[in-house]
Amino acid sequence: MDSSSTQEFEYLFKLLMIGDSGVGKSSLLLCFTSDSFEDLSPTIGVDFKVKYLTMEGKKLKLAIWDTAGQERFRTLTSSYYRGAQGIIMAYDVTRRETFTNLSEIWAKEIDLYSTNPECIKMLVGNKVDKEGDRVVTKKEGVDFARECGCLFIECSAKTRVNVQQCFEELVLKILDTPSLLAEGSKGNKKNIFKDKPSQTNATSSCC
Amino acid sequence: MEPHASSFVSKARTAFHSAAAKAERVLTDFKIDLDSDKQFHDDDFGMQRGDESARSENESKFRNELKHIKWRPPGIGTKQDWQDRINNIRKGRKEVEVTDKVGDVNVGSVPFYDENLYILNVKNDLDAKASEAIPTVEGLTAATKHPIPPSSVLKQLAIAIEAGRQTNSMKDFVASSPAREKAGLSISSVKALVLREKEDKLTSEFSSDEKVVYLINSLFDQEGEFLRRKINSDPEETSISSLPRDIHGAPPESLVVKLAEVIGNFKTLRGMSLFWSRVVDELRKHWSEEKHLLGVPPDDIPDLKSCLLYQQFQVINCCISRKRRHIIAIESLDSMVMEANSNTSDSANYMGRIPTSPLLYARLRTGELVLRLGADCPSGDLTLLETGEPAYSPVTQEGPLLTEDLIKETEEFVLRTGSVGAGCSQLLSDMQAFKAANPGCILEDFVRWYSPPDWMESEGSTEDRDSFYGGESMSSRGQLSLRMQKEGNLWRELWETSKSVPAVKQTPLYDEDLAVEGILDAFEDIQPSELYRQLFVSLLGLGFAIAETMLSGDIDTSKLFNDCKEYIVTTSQSDGFHEKVNELVQMYETVEKMLLNPDKALKMMKHMEESTMTTDEPKRRFSTGEPKHRFKRFSHIFGGKDKLLTPVRKDEVNDEEKQIRHSFSSFFDSKSSLFSKKPPKPGNLYPGEQPLSLERLDSYLDKVQFHPI
Repeated sequence: MDSSSTQEFEYLFKLLMIGDSGVGKSSLLLCFTSDSFEDLSPTIGVDFKVKYLTMEGKKLKLAIWDTAGQERFRTLTSSYYRGAQGIIMAYDVTRRETFTNLSEIWAKEIDLYSTNPECIKMLVGNKVDKEGDRVVTKKEGVDFARECGCLFIECSAKTRVNVQQCFEELVLKILDTPSLLAEGSKGNKKNIFKDKPSQTNATSSCC
Repeated sequence: MEPHASSFVSKARTAFHSAAAKAERVLTDFKIDLDSDKQFHDDDFGMQRGDESARSENESKFRNELKHIKWRPPGIGTKQDWQDRINNIRKGRKEVEVTDKVGDVNVGSVPFYDENLYILNVKNDLDAKASEAIPTVEGLTAATKHPIPPSSVLKQLAIAIEAGRQTNSMKDFVASSPAREKAGLSISSVKALVLREKEDKLTSEFSSDEKVVYLINSLFDQEGEFLRRKINSDPEETSISSLPRDIHGAPPESLVVKLAEVIGNFKTLRGMSLFWSRVVDELRKHWSEEKHLLGVPPDDIPDLKSCLLYQQFQVINCCISRKRRHIIAIESLDSMVMEANSNTSDSANYMGRIPTSPLLYARLRTGELVLRLGADCPSGDLTLLETGEPAYSPVTQEGPLLTEDLIKETEEFVLRTGSVGAGCSQLLSDMQAFKAANPGCILEDFVRWYSPPDWMESEGSTEDRDSFYGGESMSSRGQLSLRMQKEGNLWRELWETSKSVPAVKQTPLYDEDLAVEGILDAFEDIQPSELYRQLFVSLLGLGFAIAETMLSGDIDTSKLFNDCKEYIVTTSQSDGFHEKVNELVQMYETVEKMLLNPDKALKMMKHMEESTMTTDEPKRRFSTGEPKHRFKRFSHIFGGKDKLLTPVRKDEVNDEEKQIRHSFSSFFDSKSSLFSKKPPKPGNLYPGEQPLSLERLDSYLDKVQFHPI
């Protein structure tokens, strides 16, 4: 489990998860941050989790934004694209529509709202544990990723297959990009919050 | 004359001792300005060392200058000092300052006579500034004959950026003035009061000045002809559109760009600030009268790739559009309800009456007809599960209009508090609107409309799906997804909380009045440097966008142009913007020359690339003229200054700076030597042809450059 206290870090990176509703974005995030699985209620608007880890000798703090995939929430979630160093585009391998919408809807959203021309994009096919229901082949995923210029991985939040690798591969790519590394540096004035206390798990309290 | 000189010296010393910080500045100015006063000069140095040779005197004075410089903040103070000198030279204010200082020093000795003289001098100074400071509509219109705005306009904005960095708020900037600074030095508070009244009067006079009123009217004119330039955007539209956005400027022909050109034509910082205040007043007027701003899209969400000022203008226009729509929607709903009520009152005809358009009714299971409120259009072929009535998509509230600063604030707020309130507020609002448009609906109906993947159709027969009042259990027709059925699911809790309220009657999720008032207040209180930086970048973008189309045909000039363009994109995106403003002005001047005199510009650039400074000298002097040349010299010195400071900053270098420096290093390696030209050496000074004082100033600046602080 995450430590609830504020930890020291050298770099802060903002990651964003997008994709159709029900593909498993929230479950992927929960699996990565808490190593557990739950069939979570649909996200309302946006949610986030914070994860601390050390990679390549650097202490990192990841602010990972989880967005609702419903169309009505798109205006609200669009403002969270700003400044993200990494974007995860998620689909469900058992529902072709969620894969089709990545190019028809979500790639266009990135073009519209992302303000970071060098942000790293990662294509993620989830629910590979349901192999019998698969309708999107791995090859299709690879081809789309190559076309889009983004990383690609298939995983399962339920069985935890490849979930850690998914996020770590994305972060490694960010660390390899000088401009993104500079943005995440603690000394950067644009860093949206430094050493401020924050919850590692969002509460669900609201209006 | 002797007694007068003695009194002069005495008063000067009194002023020095009374205020350390001001004395520092005054002393520096005195030494430079009054150097030609032989009597004063001899007395001053005589009391310290007796007679010395001219060379020794210069050396001594230089050492004193260095002492003063050390007292200032290393980077900002020195640069500020140079900037002030540039200002004085360009405006020929040296003479005026001498007069003012003489009057100031003499105030104590002959109170009655000198006080009148002092006030008269101040009045003349302010009046002169007021009359010469305001550009005319005719002058600006004539300037549009130039293919791109003159570089002098961009220079003025550059000066304002630098000057504005010392101030936090435009209000303070407007309030401060040279006269008030002098008032601070005076003995009598009555004079300060008189000056303050003078300031207030001048401010109101500025607003009602005929030329200012005409400028404002032209700028906000609904026809939009003012400051329009021909842009041949057809051939390379894609290429053109990217540059202003790459540097975070504003679209060509937009209100921001026109504003930049107008403000950049003012001759004084104070005039620029006063005009901005006048613009803010005009924006308030447009908002209260619900008139759109021309040169800004009437109903677009903020474009985060443009500057913040442009985004805020977009919000103002968008809020005007929304208010108009809201009023229409309220009236429409009210009239609908009124009509429905009048129908209901005719009880005799009620049961037999067929519902008529545009009133929409839904029949409940009890057979009762209920008016639909805020229904937009049928939602595909969806029907309500319990009543079989068609499901309607409701009119919903529009989302928030977030500029980049508000996005950042929102994100920080969510991160700090863990609040998911925004999403819940919107979901609740949509649920209430859906209930109002679909009487008799249940959560499952809402989910089928809002989140289709969370509804799982059963594989029952068509007959089952279409049946009315069949009494069959709902589960035979489908069910919510497992995740939606979970215990404690927030969606169900919100659903049970929500009332049937159409969107136009709900509490606003986004308050247009609050949003625009916030923007206008921010405009009044904006940091001057921040405002002028955005105007500078916007005007820079316009000039390059126009030049790009005009130069694209010529291979030689377009190559040089692309080098300049690449440089400004890189510089604008870096964190070191403020240190590079003068270099950006130089890039702009280069492009300006390419347009006005392409052959000569090319020749000049080639000479520069060959690094034959001596060959270039006479041509440069002839073609560029003294003022422009003077400005370039200072730019080189700033560049050299940066290099000198590099060793000091080595300890503080972080990854970001390393990356940026590496980027710049690559840039310079692969580009022409134009950008790596070194500042001129002492041997390259131009003897004899300069006025004596300017020559000394050059000598001083060159010496400063080679003596790291």
